[in-house]
Amino acid sequence: MFRRPFSIPAWTYSFVFAIAVLILIVAVTGRGGTTTFLSALALVPYLVLVATGQMLVISAGPGNIDVSVASVISLAGYVSVAVATSTGSALLGVLAAVGVGLATALVSVLAITFASVPPIVATLASGLIVSAFTLSMSNGFSGTADPGLHAFVNAQVLGVPWLAILVLLFSIGVALMLAFTVYGRRLLAVGQARGAADYARIRPARVVASTYFISGALAGLTGALLSAFIAPSTDLGTDYLLDSIAVVVIGGTLISGGRAVPAGIWGGALFFVLLDSLLNLVGWSLAGQNILKGLLILAVLFLAGGLPRMGRRNRRSSPTDELVPAGALPTPVA
Amino acid sequence: MSETVSIRVRSTVSRRFPRGFVPRVAPAAITLVVMVVILLICTVMQPRVLSTIGLTLVFSSIVPIVFAALAQMTIMSVGDIDLGIGAFIGLVTGVSASMLKTSPLIGALILVGLVVAYAMVGALVQWRKVPSLIATLGASFVWLGIGLTFLPTPGGEPPQWLLSYAAWTPPLFPVPVVVVVVAVALVWLLTQRTGWGTQVRALGSNPIALARSGTSLLLTRMSAYALAGVLGILGGLALSGQIASGDVNASSDYTLVSVAAVILGGGTFFGGRAGVWGALFGASTLGLLTVLLTLLNLPSALQPAIEGAIVFLALAGRLVVEKVVK
Repeated sequence: MFRRPFSIPAWTYSFVFAIAVLILIVAVTGRGGTTTFLSALALVPYLVLVATGQMLVISAGPGNIDVSVASVISLAGYVSVAVATSTGSALLGVLAAVGVGLATALVSVLAITFASVPPIVATLASGLIVSAFTLSMSNGFSGTADPGLHAFVNAQVLGVPWLAILVLLFSIGVALMLAFTVYGRRLLAVGQARGAADYARIRPARVVASTYFISGALAGLTGALLSAFIAPSTDLGTDYLLDSIAVVVIGGTLISGGRAVPAGIWGGALFFVLLDSLLNLVGWSLAGQNILKGLLILAVLFLAGGLPRMGRRNRRSSPTDELVPAGALPTPVA
Repeated sequence: MSETVSIRVRSTVSRRFPRGFVPRVAPAAITLVVMVVILLICTVMQPRVLSTIGLTLVFSSIVPIVFAALAQMTIMSVGDIDLGIGAFIGLVTGVSASMLKTSPLIGALILVGLVVAYAMVGALVQWRKVPSLIATLGASFVWLGIGLTFLPTPGGEPPQWLLSYAAWTPPLFPVPVVVVVVAVALVWLLTQRTGWGTQVRALGSNPIALARSGTSLLLTRMSAYALAGVLGILGGLALSGQIASGDVNASSDYTLVSVAAVILGGGTFFGGRAGVWGALFGASTLGLLTVLLTLLNLPSALQPAIEGAIVFLALAGRLVVEKVVK
């Protein structure tokens, strides 16, 4: 039977690039690698949370993407602070923030499911509606995050932020869910072949809708946590839209759906956060930082693009496969 | 009785139009209707909108969006998506308000270089099998960075010829409308009536067949990206002429707006189709919407919500009409 010469996990490259940037930082500044790594860990969990939702959406099949996360994070930041201030309960604030995400997802899902609106446009439009609320709320807004929540997001054990540990456990949970639960297998099945999943009596529309709700809830949660970590502002979530998509794809998740790589999100998020601190450290202007960031992303794509991908089971057919002689194609194994 | 009627209707429709014509054209037609309705509402509120000067004012803000939508349409016709077009147009306004004014030759060379750079992004996508979404996203950081190099803060001044173009208001016809229609007609000819255009659309619908016909996929994708780059440059020049300065961040929301415009005009994410006129109608609808919201004098915080709601309404209307047509 034909086998690829070797196969490596899809998340390898993201960690290789993250480590390369870490080494660069140590070389440039002479700071200890552990210190740099730990300070990056303070920012990584937020990106991982948003990107996990984004990954589930993207894995649900071609065209699925959630571009409303940035607006949701910004509004959720305000809502969580406002609710926590008026009720005195940080938990209620966080729940309200998650509610913001779910409500936004509901609007997107209704448009995607019942009006066949392409997801990128549906989530863009619901994001626009959300940002109108953000703008109205931000006028004369005065309020600070709940001190308990503020202490929670800054809590550390042996220098490691508690939040990073919790989010790591969450990521492991998501990975297990994708691999071993009926829901996880259904999600990947829908992403790989929606038509076939439909014949297998999986209801694709429901599975796809669920990913938007998860993504919305996670973006809302991130907004609540971020508002306690930084402070609520109208562009609290702006950077998280493009970064979450980039992190997911660099982590090895297929943009066409059907293959989700939760571990890669950690590699990708570390790569992005470390990259930002490297760019800050070299002391270049904003212009130089952006050029370097863009070129590094393109270089990563250039290097990773042609390299062998993960094992046979999850491999998707690509146009080049058609040019391979029929006998050389791998046969499916039961 | 009713069956005979419906059969008769169907046969007249099918006799009049080639197969597949109605479902293909319906979305763009509906968007055109929405566009005309918004224009009429604007006219009711401010009758001078329909005068030559009124149309010039209204459409001069729409011209850059139309170019962005045409660029996005070109990229989407090969089955890709461009998340960098907003940053790219901002970069062009930066070049226009700095180098193009002080040393026109170098400025022009920079613009040519930018088209080549756009083609290189296409080469990366084709050659390394990289998702276009992430490649253009990476490129958008580069565009933003280069733009900030030329113009760190908003300001500057575009060259005189661009300012005189923007200020040109002949009494007989609104210049921006003519510019838009000519540009769209040229892109339509290029994508629908040339061999190259057929190859570009084939790359989106069936790359294997295109490869077996002996066409270079790499060159086809690079040339499609180069056309998008040219359209982006025209959009950036139009924008800097309109705002009479440069601002690298002025067009950051063009990226998603251009995608929405193409979708409103009946485009798809799957490639193989180039809805040029649809992109024009989609972009004009979204642009006119901003004008209408300004005329309505709504609180600025509400404007994005109404934009979002109208996008939903237009697409829901399209769904209803598609059901009726079927």
